[in-house]
Amino acid sequence: MTATATRWRSLLLPVLAAAVVFVLGWKAIVVVGNYPPFILPAPEVVGARLVEAWLEGTMTPHAWATLSEIGLGFSIGAGLAVVVGYLLARSPLAEKLLSPYLVAAQATPILALAPLLVLWLGTGLAAKVVICTLIVFFPVAVATMVGIRSVDARLLELGHSLRATRWQVFRHLELPAALPQILGGMRVGVTLAVIGAIVGEWAGADRGLGVLINLARGSLFDFPLMFATLLTIAGIAIVLYLTVVLVERALVGAWR
Amino acid sequence: MLRSLVALVIVALAAGCQPSPAPTAPLTTLTVGLGYLPSVQFAQFYRAQQQGYYRAAGLDVTFQHEIDPNLITLLGQGAVDIGMADGTSVIPAAGQEIPIRYAATIYARFPSIVMTGADSGISSAADLRGRSLGIPGLFGSSWIMLQALLHSAGLTPDDLDIRAFPDFGQSAALRLGQIDAATGFRNNEPVQLALQGFPTTVLDVDAVTPLPGPGLTVGTATLASKRDAVQAFVAATLRAMDEIAADPESGLNDAIAVVPDLGINRATQLAILEATIEMWRAPYTEANGLGAIDAEAWRESLEFMRGLPDSNIPATLTVEQLVTTEVLP
Amino acid sequence: MSRPATEERALAAISLAGVSRSFTVDGRPLPVLEQISFEVPGHGVTAVLGPNGSGKSTLLRLVAGLIVADHGSILIDGLPVADADQRVGLVFQEPRLLPWRRAIDNVAFPLELAGVGRVERSERARRLLDLVGLDTFARAYPHQLSGGMRQRLAIARALARDPSILLLDEPFSALDALTRERFNAELLELWQRTGTTIVIVTHSIAEAVFLADEVVVLSARPGRVVARVPVPLGRPRPVTAMDSAGFARAAAAIRAHLGGTPDDLAAQEAAAAPIHDVLERAGSPAWFDPFGGG
Repeated sequence: MTATATRWRSLLLPVLAAAVVFVLGWKAIVVVGNYPPFILPAPEVVGARLVEAWLEGTMTPHAWATLSEIGLGFSIGAGLAVVVGYLLARSPLAEKLLSPYLVAAQATPILALAPLLVLWLGTGLAAKVVICTLIVFFPVAVATMVGIRSVDARLLELGHSLRATRWQVFRHLELPAALPQILGGMRVGVTLAVIGAIVGEWAGADRGLGVLINLARGSLFDFPLMFATLLTIAGIAIVLYLTVVLVERALVGAWR
Repeated sequence: MLRSLVALVIVALAAGCQPSPAPTAPLTTLTVGLGYLPSVQFAQFYRAQQQGYYRAAGLDVTFQHEIDPNLITLLGQGAVDIGMADGTSVIPAAGQEIPIRYAATIYARFPSIVMTGADSGISSAADLRGRSLGIPGLFGSSWIMLQALLHSAGLTPDDLDIRAFPDFGQSAALRLGQIDAATGFRNNEPVQLALQGFPTTVLDVDAVTPLPGPGLTVGTATLASKRDAVQAFVAATLRAMDEIAADPESGLNDAIAVVPDLGINRATQLAILEATIEMWRAPYTEANGLGAIDAEAWRESLEFMRGLPDSNIPATLTVEQLVTTEVLP
Repeated sequence: MSRPATEERALAAISLAGVSRSFTVDGRPLPVLEQISFEVPGHGVTAVLGPNGSGKSTLLRLVAGLIVADHGSILIDGLPVADADQRVGLVFQEPRLLPWRRAIDNVAFPLELAGVGRVERSERARRLLDLVGLDTFARAYPHQLSGGMRQRLAIARALARDPSILLLDEPFSALDALTRERFNAELLELWQRTGTTIVIVTHSIAEAVFLADEVVVLSARPGRVVARVPVPLGRPRPVTAMDSAGFARAAAAIRAHLGGTPDDLAAQEAAAAPIHDVLERAGSPAWFDPFGGG
């Protein structure tokens, strides 16, 4: 089996096994608790609704909208975070100036900020992208800062002895050394981005999986669809997380 | 000795057989779900509570505050016995086989309306073409109302510039002239705006599509197990409504007794209450009594909602699966 | 092997005169080197030996141009040492390889930084790998190599820019004694083939005598030149030279300058003020050790 195929298999098998256990547990709860479908539908009902929703095209536009919010938000947030994280790591002045803002921004709950952002930026894509950017920023920035700072001073001396420029030091020494940390921060960031997108949609949107949850719950009273949407969101989060893990294995796995 | 004992037993038995004078029969507890927040709009419930009508009917009533989606599932589960649910929520819910029935009309006129500035030049649905309109979102009773209103003028939502106000700021936006029209509730925003010196023109759907407004909704299991209690509750509530309609001030006082915060601005609350009372009355309830359910209106509304785009209401759903008259007086 | 003074200076590849350096520790100046003067002739091998804390590593960094002397001058081929002087190749105590690069890319690293094209640096890297006997391991990652192989890789890298001087800071101290002897012999072979000038800092008298033409003995902190002991052994120098009388005499002379018995040496080291090696800063995370032992 090729290396890539083995990598996929080693990631997917545990996920599939976990999914099976989860579904069985769910079914057991429904049967034992005798829950009606509008409280807790059985897994097969939700499964059927999930397939139906995708085939009918109900899910697609909403999933696409949420993915766009996550994609843009994460890219911008993580990109900015790596730059700022580097600054924080290497410039004591930057750290003193910026840290209070960073911590304050992080401490403010997204749930409180989201409606304000929707008020200012409207119910379109912009507010959600900003929310995702904000929520991704802190973990990646901190991970970058820690990673860059933890680069061994002996390697930096090597760089000095070889007359490496600042950019060369970053590109060839600091970044590769910090990459495991940065990717670790991105693992956290990408799952938070999913939450950010949904919360943003709840603050006001006309499309997205968060909107679909509200529609299913409050307008259509279609609870199997609501659960199917939740599963879709969870699925997206898992796929994104595994993607970061795979990237990490590809970039970092070889030399550890 | 034995004869004394026998006499004692006979007396005791005789005493036991007489109807006991004082001990009250155990009260039936009822959990009642009212809208999102305590409001003067629920004055009839507060009055029935304050004046002891529920207690006299053998009921121990507790109020809960829930939003519609939660309330409907709680009613279906039986966790809440009776709730004020919007008719346009009952239809899709019953369509998804959630076991509830609409049992008494409270709002005979549909609360959700479109309002415009008095000098906007908009006096009918047709005038909305090409204008801007604010709505909390493309869901809920206001969205259904809007579609019905536009449909009556041969318009669709695409013929307007519809803007979402997820923070429910569409009323303020209308006031500031940012939009030409906005959705609202007949007994709320137009009343407040008028008090602020901003009169509005109100467009409603009652003549167009008789959508069912909020009313007392009960889970089918509860209807089966607590039928008499529910019936007593409905009767007591309708009585309170009658009394308040005749004397709104007394209704306001009862409301303030239960929810003291309402006393902060009596004038506004009274205006809202009076507007609310207006909505309890419609030709059908005038003719058939408060609480009466207009099955024909429901049939029309069912057809209308079934025909909306993205509707998930099954073709097999009938009005009999939506409403019941068994607990009406 | 002694040369006339004038000739010495003319051929001297490295020339230190009155070099002093202190560091500031806890706000107070700590002199590490005082009045260091010696020359290393072109194509010569000089060993610098002394107890811990005698400033050997500091001396090497001064010659490499990584730090600047407080007093005195250091000349390479008559010209003052520049910052990170590229006439010098450095081999540190640990291999300091980049764990995310393969062996060949590690060796090519200095060339890459200098802007040498991909094809040329690949070719030169291969030749260097060949030189240190690692040509079959070109595609291996450092974590796949043994400690000795990593150090050889570090030496190959140090030679990448074709320096006239090779400075080695206790390069073999992490290896076992037998491997160390072998590496010493290989280093001499390398020296014959490349013709560089070598200064090696060491803790081992045997290593110093085996490798060098002259052994500079430093005192305990602050380091001063206690003696310059010539090694009267010929070249090429087989391993068996370590058993010769000349070897023993030179070793004895050195030992005498160090203060006699190993116990004296230990006492001197203990007397030196305890100090964190200012060049080694804490913070290497547990997971990341490009210098992993063995």
